Amino acid sequence: MTKITVYSTSSCPYCTMAKDFLKENKIEFEGINVQENQEAAQEMVKKSGQYGVPVIDIDGEIIIGFDKNRIKELLKL
Amino acid sequence: MKTVDVAILGGGPAGATAAVYALRYSLSTIIISENIGGWMREAPMISNFPSAPGEINGLDLSAKFKEQLNELKAEIVEEKVIQVKKVGNIFYIKTNNSEYAAKTVIYALGSEKRKLNVPGETEFFGKGVSACVTCDGPLFSGRVVGVVGGGDSAAVAALMLSEYAKEVHLFSKELELRSKPSLTKRMINSDIIKIHKGVSILKINGEKFLNSVNLDNKKEIELQGLFIEVGMIPTTKIAQEVGVKIGKWGLIEVKEDMATAVPGFFAAGDLTTGSNRFRQIATAVGEGAIAANSTYEYLRAK
Repeated sequence: MTKITVYSTSSCPYCTMAKDFLKENKIEFEGINVQENQEAAQEMVKKSGQYGVPVIDIDGEIIIGFDKNRIKELLKL
Repeated sequence: MKTVDVAILGGGPAGATAAVYALRYSLSTIIISENIGGWMREAPMISNFPSAPGEINGLDLSAKFKEQLNELKAEIVEEKVIQVKKVGNIFYIKTNNSEYAAKTVIYALGSEKRKLNVPGETEFFGKGVSACVTCDGPLFSGRVVGVVGGGDSAAVAALMLSEYAKEVHLFSKELELRSKPSLTKRMINSDIIKIHKGVSILKINGEKFLNSVNLDNKKEIELQGLFIEVGMIPTTKIAQEVGVKIGKWGLIEVKEDMATAVPGFFAAGDLTTGSNRFRQIATAVGEGAIAANSTYEYLRAK
């Protein structure tokens, strides 16, 4: 099964949009709020090379920002 | 390709309101917008919109706009407008994905964020430099950050950052801040916010990530995050290609009825001369309503 992690902050609009998009398509994912979890924040920065959210990890493929077309492509939606 | 009565380009407050009115006038309508709500989505707090007492955040207000459009069974196309052409009396709208035809257009594509245009900005974008404080602000908890700009958006950004950053530097080109007195006062009263007036950033430095900025007063300030809030540029290019006239302040010239120089092509929101350059959600809503009404009158007279 595809493992999906969405790194986000509480107030980030594009994070909410990304999570809503996955929910609408009935796709399970793990949501990590990096604002509450410094360790996860560092992990995200390391994975993406970015100080920016959302970061979406789909089986090791890193998507920076809410790139809907890339998500669709990777999940074959 | 069917030809709709009106194609509304943009789904921010102007476009969304135009759509509500157009649908209630029973015009066949499409809204082409990648994001209903537009930039409003990123606003951390909105405290001047009627029906939203206290504060509402932009994403919640955008969700309400969307809910209302869905209730009216609006046809929303989530695509990016690339080009508009008028052939005879019909407008052809090309997007990144398709093409649409419409008898009239309400052009409400809003604006794009202005860049600082200094060395290092592009290189460190996403690596400390950001244009979205509601998104990336919380990542800088306990760290030193900066905000560039002297208006309301910069003040709101600095105040939001002061909730979790160790130190917030506000860099304003002007000697007097343009932000609302209520916001300016809150910044002055904050122990965390340090205001630098009459300074410009010359250069953004770092290695893997941002670590400092050089100012034109020869100072170098060490910081890990920098938020650019230096205003917006109206998205007028596509409309100019159709033949609209650009008026004062580089905005699309509109008459009282939101008509442009091109018959059947109306404009609304931040990119018009219609609201005396007062770019607010409330003024965009007003312009959207007028534009839809004018579209209705225009089609009826045909």
